[in-house]
Amino acid sequence: MAQTRPISANAPARSANAQNVSFVASLRENWLYWLILIVLVLFPFIIGWLSGDSPFGTPRGDRMVMRGESVYAQSVLINIFALSVLVMSYNLMFGFTGVISFGHALFFGLGGYLMGIILEFGGMDPNIGLIVALVVVLVVTGILGFIVGIVSLRLRGIYFAIFTLAIAEMGWLFFRGLSITNGEDGLNVASLPEWLDPARNRIMVYYVGLALFVLTFVLIRRLVNSPVGSVFQAIRENEERAQVLGYNTLHYKLFSITVAGMLAGLAGMLLAIMNKEARPEILNVSVTVDALLMTIIGGVGTFTGPVIGASGLHLLDTFLREAVVTIGPITIDIGERWTLILGFIFVLVVLIFPYGMVGTWQRLRMRFKRSK
Amino acid sequence: MSDNILEVRDIHTFIGQFHILEGVSVSVPSGAITVLLGRNGAGKTTTLRSIMGLNQVTQGDISYMNGSLVGKNAHKIAQLGIGYVPEHRAIFKELSVRENLQIAARKKGDLENNLDFVFELFPDLKRLIELPGGNLSGGQQQMLAIARALVPDNGLLLIDEPSEGLAPIIIQQLIAAIRTLAANKTVLLVEQNFRVASLLADYFVIIDDGHSVASGSMADLHKEHELVQRYLGVA
Amino acid sequence: MGTNFFGGKRDAWLLVIGMFVAVLVFALFTSDFNLSSFAITLVSGLFQGMLLFLVASGLSLVFGLMDILNFAQGAYFMVGAYLAYDLQHATGVFNITEAVPDPNIRFIIGVLVALFVGAVLGWVLERWLLRPLYDRPLFQLVLTFGVSIIMLEGIRNIWNTTPYSWTDLFAIREAEFTLFGQAFSMYRLFVIGIGILLIIGIALLLRRTRLGIIVRAGVEDPEMVSALGINVRVVFTLVFTLGCAVAAFGGAIAAPFLGATISLGSTFLIQAIAVIVLGGLGSYEGTAVGSIIVGLALAAMQQFSIGVNIPVLATITPMLLLVIVLLVRPQGLFGEAR
Ligand SMILES: Nc1ncnc2c1ncn2[C@@H]1O[C@H](COP(=O)(O)OP(=O)(O)OP(=O)(O)O)[C@@H](O)[C@H]1O
Ligand SMILES: [Mg+2]
Repeated sequence: MAQTRPISANAPARSANAQNVSFVASLRENWLYWLILIVLVLFPFIIGWLSGDSPFGTPRGDRMVMRGESVYAQSVLINIFALSVLVMSYNLMFGFTGVISFGHALFFGLGGYLMGIILEFGGMDPNIGLIVALVVVLVVTGILGFIVGIVSLRLRGIYFAIFTLAIAEMGWLFFRGLSITNGEDGLNVASLPEWLDPARNRIMVYYVGLALFVLTFVLIRRLVNSPVGSVFQAIRENEERAQVLGYNTLHYKLFSITVAGMLAGLAGMLLAIMNKEARPEILNVSVTVDALLMTIIGGVGTFTGPVIGASGLHLLDTFLREAVVTIGPITIDIGERWTLILGFIFVLVVLIFPYGMVGTWQRLRMRFKRSK
Repeated sequence: MSDNILEVRDIHTFIGQFHILEGVSVSVPSGAITVLLGRNGAGKTTTLRSIMGLNQVTQGDISYMNGSLVGKNAHKIAQLGIGYVPEHRAIFKELSVRENLQIAARKKGDLENNLDFVFELFPDLKRLIELPGGNLSGGQQQMLAIARALVPDNGLLLIDEPSEGLAPIIIQQLIAAIRTLAANKTVLLVEQNFRVASLLADYFVIIDDGHSVASGSMADLHKEHELVQRYLGVA
Repeated sequence: MGTNFFGGKRDAWLLVIGMFVAVLVFALFTSDFNLSSFAITLVSGLFQGMLLFLVASGLSLVFGLMDILNFAQGAYFMVGAYLAYDLQHATGVFNITEAVPDPNIRFIIGVLVALFVGAVLGWVLERWLLRPLYDRPLFQLVLTFGVSIIMLEGIRNIWNTTPYSWTDLFAIREAEFTLFGQAFSMYRLFVIGIGILLIIGIALLLRRTRLGIIVRAGVEDPEMVSALGINVRVVFTLVFTLGCAVAAFGGAIAAPFLGATISLGSTFLIQAIAVIVLGGLGSYEGTAVGSIIVGLALAAMQQFSIGVNIPVLATITPMLLLVIVLLVRPQGLFGEAR
């Protein structure tokens, strides 16, 4: 990374004592996050306890079958983790650095496909295969992000966005037509290591997903609050001015796009593990569109907005898909009309929350505080 | 009071979250040339844009021929007979000179009636008439921008820094042209070049950091060395 | 960086001619220099190019003028296709086969209804949904997404998801013409002709009428247009409405060949986006030329990919072309260098 001149000076705490104090301070400041973390760690057990179903599944013979409320709830959250990581990574690039890309699906999809291909065709021990896959996904998405980032030197704004769209569309069309991954049907990923097989050990996938989710959240917060992050935001506000201030904005954009790409790759890997397959849909524009919409609806350039956008929409999706509502004599099958409702939600949220949900909330709170 | 065609009273204007104008008042006597003076970034352009309805005025009042302009859309304000010549010669580069003039016509006959006058003022435009605006030189573009405001029957012209970046000889021509057109129009001018301003204007208003700080007749300003020194930095 | 080499507008035209020649040579090559199969490529390329133009022209004008990338444009195309299909055939929701037994008149009715419904829906979207979001372009983008979902689902609810293929015959579909010894349905010629007429018609509208001058000026600087006393919002609404109407019209005249399917809209939308960016955002001639180049390249690649049996090649062609053009010329063919 290039030399950075801090815009907001963050004097690092050096002595052990100071560190202790800052730990307590951060605990007080971030108590809500800690609370959520604890709930999430205990979540499989809480649901298990509430429903009476074991968080490890139902024993059948000498193995576990993935049945029961807790296991089901875990799978919902694993999806949310993967989606949140995707949306947070998108927000890093789009919300904090101001780079609009329509090609994020490529990184997400590659994460899933590369892992699937390595595990299925690598002929390695699944554990080694998984590690190799992890490294390959990080390296490939990193390099790809770097290359795409270099293009952003020449292409600005909407031109860059459409360029990435074209690249990602080609990736989608390529994998849809690729016969070794079964084209449109997608690749089944059967050779997962046993400890991380969602059909055997859902709870491990849950904790791996949780770890990825928490690490991504913390990483992005750290990054954005660091001097590098201030430059990101300076670029977002006005790239030319950031250049005039002496920053090589290309370096920072490259960094942001690369990190975002790698995180999206990891999210794609997680989803492929959970679904045990890699289908061309994970490369489709609609993945990017979802990431974009969830970012905007949650709150562009906020830390919690992407998570709220991702989990909110996914939860609605999960629960409304099967819901049938009866009001008096009228029965509405929401599941059938779910997509339609989703469309209306987009339209309404956009008209009601001018800065996304978190952004609007923050503004309202600020105004409230000021008027007090 | 009543012979002021335009009366800007203590206006406040925001751009996004920034409070740019914090109390600007300008009186523009009809039939004369009034100049807005002030340093770079003082808020002169924003004042013109606020009058034109291009920036939102949150407080204060702007009255033109006894009607208020605040809250009106730009096109409505223009239709009242106010012509705007923006800074940096914002002509339409892809449109030909003729089209640049055509688009400004508000009713039938505007172009036909005023074209002779325009060509009298700026004879160059006549031979450039089919050229795309973007191919014109800086001076010619400025002339086109002013000509465009002369096509409809405007009573008041807002002209923002016409001399910016032009050669002295072109500036001479512009001064002559503005003098001629001011014979039957009121002009509110923004001009950084103090010499040009002195040659043209009858009245002045000084704007500093979003406030109007002084005003009067241009003849008096020459005696106020201290004022000029403080706000304009010219001796 | 070599940007200057391709800088001016003359160079844009040189590049365009170069691309045309390259595509045509490639088409000749893929048809093994056999003129009658070259004719197939040519006719099918122009046909696809014109359909692309019908979606892309509205997209391009709206983007140039209002900075909105209307992601619902593909849905308008689809609405047009479904309406035309439905009115023509006895199946579907509206059955007018008894009231209007003549299939030719039914076709005309279908096209006109599509045009009208497209215009009304376009007007509603601009006037009542996009206008309040005027200062928030990102939200306009989200909104057009939302609207396209709603329209898609609306279609799904009204007409189900089964793909309809056009079965009804009418005069110009049955008639034939020959080119290089190859017979084609007259209908292709009809669509190509309509496309050319529209390209010229819109060009004349933009060059010769007051509305056209205002639109071109608005593409450069809408604020200045309003400072000249012109109500630019009305012009926005008008152009947006026209753009949607033309897209629906495109869907209607495409239906006799492509039928009415649920994926029609998104395919055309993505390809049309590729076209307008490749042509240079906000440039009308770029959109027109880009549509034809992409259409021809698509047809040539379809031919080629059948030969080598790699079907992906054809589908990625518009994207590939776009990526190449952007790398050579970052502002697209006729875009303003920034
Ligand atoms: N879009 C904007 N966002 C934030 N600040 C702005 C914006 N436009 C103008 N400003 C600020 O408003 C102030 C007044 O600008 P304005 O253009 O009116 O100045 P001016 O007096 O015309 O200066 P100049 O002589 O340089 O043209 C400046 O400090 C400028 O930085
Ligand atoms: Mg100014």
